[in-house]
Amino acid sequence: MSLQKSVKSAGGERTDQDNTSICSSVTTQPDRHGFFGGAQYSPEPKRTVSPSTILKREQKWLRMLNNWEAFMSKNYKKVRERCRKGIPASVRPKAWLYLCGGQLLLEKHPEEYEELLQAPGDPKCMEDIRKDLHRQFPYHEMFIREEGLGQQELFCVLKAYSVLNPKVGYFQAQAPVAAFLLMHMPAVQAFWCLVSISDKYLSGYYNPGLEVLQRDGDILHALLRRTAPAVHRHLGKHRVEPVLYATEWFLCALTRTLPWDSLLRVWDCFLCEGVKVLFKAALVILAGALGPAKVRKRAAGLCETLEVLRHPPEGILGEDYLMYHMQRLNLTEEDFEFEHQRQTAKRRAMANRSGS
Amino acid sequence: MAKTYDYLFKLLLIGDSGVGKTSILFRFSEDAFNISFISTIGIDFKIRTIDLDGKKVKLQIWDTAGQERFRTITTAYYRGSMGIMLVYDVTNEKSFENIKNWIRNIEENASADVEKMILGNKCDLDAKRQVSKERGEQLAVEYQIKFVETSAKDSLNVEFAFYTLARDIKAKMEKKQEASNPPGGRTGAHQLRANEQQRKPTSWLSRCSVL
Repeated sequence: MSLQKSVKSAGGERTDQDNTSICSSVTTQPDRHGFFGGAQYSPEPKRTVSPSTILKREQKWLRMLNNWEAFMSKNYKKVRERCRKGIPASVRPKAWLYLCGGQLLLEKHPEEYEELLQAPGDPKCMEDIRKDLHRQFPYHEMFIREEGLGQQELFCVLKAYSVLNPKVGYFQAQAPVAAFLLMHMPAVQAFWCLVSISDKYLSGYYNPGLEVLQRDGDILHALLRRTAPAVHRHLGKHRVEPVLYATEWFLCALTRTLPWDSLLRVWDCFLCEGVKVLFKAALVILAGALGPAKVRKRAAGLCETLEVLRHPPEGILGEDYLMYHMQRLNLTEEDFEFEHQRQTAKRRAMANRSGS
Repeated sequence: MAKTYDYLFKLLLIGDSGVGKTSILFRFSEDAFNISFISTIGIDFKIRTIDLDGKKVKLQIWDTAGQERFRTITTAYYRGSMGIMLVYDVTNEKSFENIKNWIRNIEENASADVEKMILGNKCDLDAKRQVSKERGEQLAVEYQIKFVETSAKDSLNVEFAFYTLARDIKAKMEKKQEASNPPGGRTGAHQLRANEQQRKPTSWLSRCSVL
């Protein structure tokens, strides 16, 4: 969705002229994250943290990564606090690999990635993967070239996962997640991170049936009632179901939704604290976009509301706003657990009713 | 605020992953083509208002992800659709064979009287073609559904396809209206729409009316 936004703004008003090329929105110099254009392109360098602070943080992170087990078992709160402040870019790839347990998996199965690649792979999966290779972050330097190294690696990572876990095989939402990981680390590490994210963090999201996704949509809607009752009422009134706006948020772990700097910060927390970080980000976006009464009044319908959620004001997607409000949401672990139990029971009852 | 259209039609695009549903919709709504599209995850929509025989027809077109796994969430949205475009890729045999499965999906999930149309997309790629135009036509005859080959890239038949589908929906609606309304009665657009809402079961789509 976000990409289409950029194309629209680059193309401007509807014209008679055929807009086959996208030159107007593409530059010759990539931005600091590797984007030549598209919604994620952000040319202005970011300077919110001073170089001396970054240096100090880097040292702290290096010390932590060298004593990882000890920190995680005895001082998890410190790790979490540092993740919330933002992991310095230089140590981020390694930190992510450690945080999500990818490093442990890699150490446990050092040869497996290569072995998985030797397998022929399910033909249907292979075809589905191939169709998606050029459709992930097409403006990023790694993926801009058809059959370039980035697309080749993306194929390998997705194929290896489909062979490792044939029950899931390949699901389209995994491609942006894998591509995002590949921007930060070598393929074998990206693979084990993808395994951990698919099987632990987003457990069940990619399974046939998409039951877990639908349940989590219900949980999100229920939590919204506590955090932003007016927005909750508005969505209910116009029957804006979570599946219509939150599917891509959840399935792609926000990789297609947020501006890059915000995305990196949210992922720092996501890999430390788990899927509830995605819920929190979603709740902040919903409240930020539909919070003002005059916005809700203007968006008096399903499509109008979806349109607002598709293009939330830039301010609320900025990293400072987002991180600040995510931590101020005032939702406890128990709140999440309570809604989880409630919605699971609700769905089970519904399934029983329709089954009998 | 006054309504800026006479009719509101809800359309749906379905078909295998990668056949060009999003590109077709982008061509129709923005009159542009983009080689750098991202795969559709979930459900998206675009809106365009067209002029049809002097009436303003607002088309609300829903685009769906093609991979089979998405069907559990997308089929819920078949019900409120008045027209469905079935899209395959003429350079991909499998996507053509799957049209039959997509039709079965419609039969199981959409209203019985939904208007349908089959589109064979990417017809500009003649060198890579795997499905001849004749086979497309044959399939269409078999199911008695209108058919046209399109190219979102070269802007071929995309407008035609949407106008045709919209015209068929409009004709069907007016015919129904005549049948249920004795001659001499009021046949204003407003009344037609109200009637339409009655006919359809309440669904998420029918809630989406724009002021």
